[in-house]
Amino acid sequence: MDFTLTGEQLIIRDTARNLFARECPRGLLARAWDDPGAAAPLWRDHLADWVGLAEQPLADAAVFLEEHGRAAAPGVFLPSLLAAYVAQAAGLTCGGAASVAVSGPAGLWRPHAAPLKHFVPCAAQADALVVVGGEAAAPRVAIVPATAVVATAVDNLDRLRPLYTVTVSGGIAGTQVGIAQWQQAQRRCLVAVSAELVGVGRALLDSAVAYAGERRQFGRPIGAFQGLQWQLVDAAVALERAAAAVTWAALCVDADDGDAPVASHTAKLEAGSAARHCARTALQVHGGIGYTWEHGLHYWLRRAYAGDGFMGPADYHAGCLAAELFAA
Amino acid sequence: MRLSLADEDLAFRDGLLAFLDAHCPPQARAGRDFIGSGAADDDGVMVIPDWARAWQATLFDHGWMVPGFAPELGGRHATPLQTMLYLETLAQQGICRSVHFGGYAIVAPSLLEFGDAAQQALAPAAIRGDTVWCIGMSEPGAGSDLAGLATRAVDRGDHFEVTGQKVWTSYAMVAQKGFFYVRTNPDEPRHKGISVLIIDMDSPGVTVRPLRHITGKAEFAEVFLDAVRVPRANLVGELNNGWRITMGSLAHERGGLWVEGVASCLRAVDGLVALARRRDLAADARVTDRIARLYARAQSLRALGWKGFAAFAQGSSAPEHSLLKLAVSELQQALYECGMDLQGAGLAITDPARAEEGGRWQDSFLSGLAATIGGGTSEIQRNVIATQVLGLPRA
Repeated sequence: MDFTLTGEQLIIRDTARNLFARECPRGLLARAWDDPGAAAPLWRDHLADWVGLAEQPLADAAVFLEEHGRAAAPGVFLPSLLAAYVAQAAGLTCGGAASVAVSGPAGLWRPHAAPLKHFVPCAAQADALVVVGGEAAAPRVAIVPATAVVATAVDNLDRLRPLYTVTVSGGIAGTQVGIAQWQQAQRRCLVAVSAELVGVGRALLDSAVAYAGERRQFGRPIGAFQGLQWQLVDAAVALERAAAAVTWAALCVDADDGDAPVASHTAKLEAGSAARHCARTALQVHGGIGYTWEHGLHYWLRRAYAGDGFMGPADYHAGCLAAELFAA
Repeated sequence: MRLSLADEDLAFRDGLLAFLDAHCPPQARAGRDFIGSGAADDDGVMVIPDWARAWQATLFDHGWMVPGFAPELGGRHATPLQTMLYLETLAQQGICRSVHFGGYAIVAPSLLEFGDAAQQALAPAAIRGDTVWCIGMSEPGAGSDLAGLATRAVDRGDHFEVTGQKVWTSYAMVAQKGFFYVRTNPDEPRHKGISVLIIDMDSPGVTVRPLRHITGKAEFAEVFLDAVRVPRANLVGELNNGWRITMGSLAHERGGLWVEGVASCLRAVDGLVALARRRDLAADARVTDRIARLYARAQSLRALGWKGFAAFAQGSSAPEHSLLKLAVSELQQALYECGMDLQGAGLAITDPARAEEGGRWQDSFLSGLAATIGGGTSEIQRNVIATQVLGLPRA
């Protein structure tokens, strides 16, 4: 049991933090909101190589993704990483800008043969799609070029990570994947999304704490009022819990530990809930200014809610956990 | 980062498990949700059962009482990580090492750090449980705001004359000695002017009145001090510098204070799963989802504890630990309330013959109400986290 960051992880964290501070300013978010293509240089020049983290321990990728979430970074990086994890399960390699198409209309990752897939992030920005077909007990994974699918944009809360429905022409042949490999890939993806959500929550909480220290009313900083302090403390507790759950889950999934199923559901449940909690609190603490479009707080709030929903929201994972707890 | 243990730490845990198999009495394995044996006399006043005295002495003699200490103090020079494994193993198995924590956990470390040679010599008996200690801190007018304490000790040269009242004094009715915080200089404000005195509980002028609490049992007391004569040799540390000693406790176990609480939460989750099954609620998603969310909180807090411990063991401060007291105590209350709710109208039944598990959930619900009050209320914890962890301005 050692949860300290390794030297390498500290380097990943600091490098990522500098990278996003430099290359992903708020202005880029505003531009990418109107035009997803505006995020292409960030991907091409700075993030594409980091998909190699898929070959590293999940805990390393989690450190990078937390910084990615802190910046509410737009574009295809997270979908490409998820695609790489799913491709790995089939012994395939998926380089370049990619996304992953699994879900049915409910947005849950249950393999099914239908060629129409829902909730596919950044499908139109990807060069290739990792498509999951077959059935729950026998998934099949295929890598198809973007030219072989029809992607239709579906407007969603977080337009910095646009969602599409995708129709795969000619059915999904693909490689059959063992159920254990599929489950492990799915857990990697859950932990990756959760790690990003922790970063989103951190940005929201940090911003709220900073604002509460600056904004003065009634002759003092609003952060000196207990009613506001306690809201921030409760959000911080939820966030620290989530961050620890993500670390635990990353270690369990990498080790293929017996706790990996419960740990990955716990991580997603906790991270989704915490990011939403931080978003609500940050909005309340910022008052009217946070409610404006121009302030930009809404980019993070949107990522928090859309990220919680992706692969199923906290309620869904509570149900999965309950099934695990009552199965034995 | 790693999940697994090194060989020497596995060996440490194996040694502990073997010792527990060989020596731990069944009464110490009661798996109660809170510290204590529950043993009481006919009036509900706590007593220390013989098995508990013998068990604490056995732990001491085998170096398993406070493993981080030297053998002469009931330990075996365990590393911080090994101490964590020790605490977690005991907590997972629901084993209590002592039914009164003041002596080994607070008084002995304080005596060793701040006392003179004669006072340090009192430590082994405090740890072994041969001497039972109480700690006289809170007063009717000084609860969360301890710096307001008013018990007065007048300097008479070779002795102090102590007059005042303490309250919420755990174990005062079974203690031979007390570790009392008193005001020695009334002209100094607040934290200044406070000293620590060792007071023999059978001194003339000491009156102990057991204080029955919400469970109906009396585990703490009011202590009245009426012109009690205390030899000057009983002054611990410097005169008027007692505030420093209030910060004293087992430094090497401080990183693990959360372990017992978290482990009791995970045991309670297991209990809720079993209770839901017995009451035929395992297919009711409202019930199972509620339990799942409590489980997620408990596991996350366990992970948070280990994360904080990693920082602590490297000598850095661990903000995680200030969050844990708050979060664990609130989770405990949510768990016990859930255990009550699963019993339907039966949540009101405390008859041990009729209530689920002899009334465990009702008992723990009532005991658990203290968790957000004692040791710093949740309100104080939130204030501290706001200013010291988040860095918000002071009110």
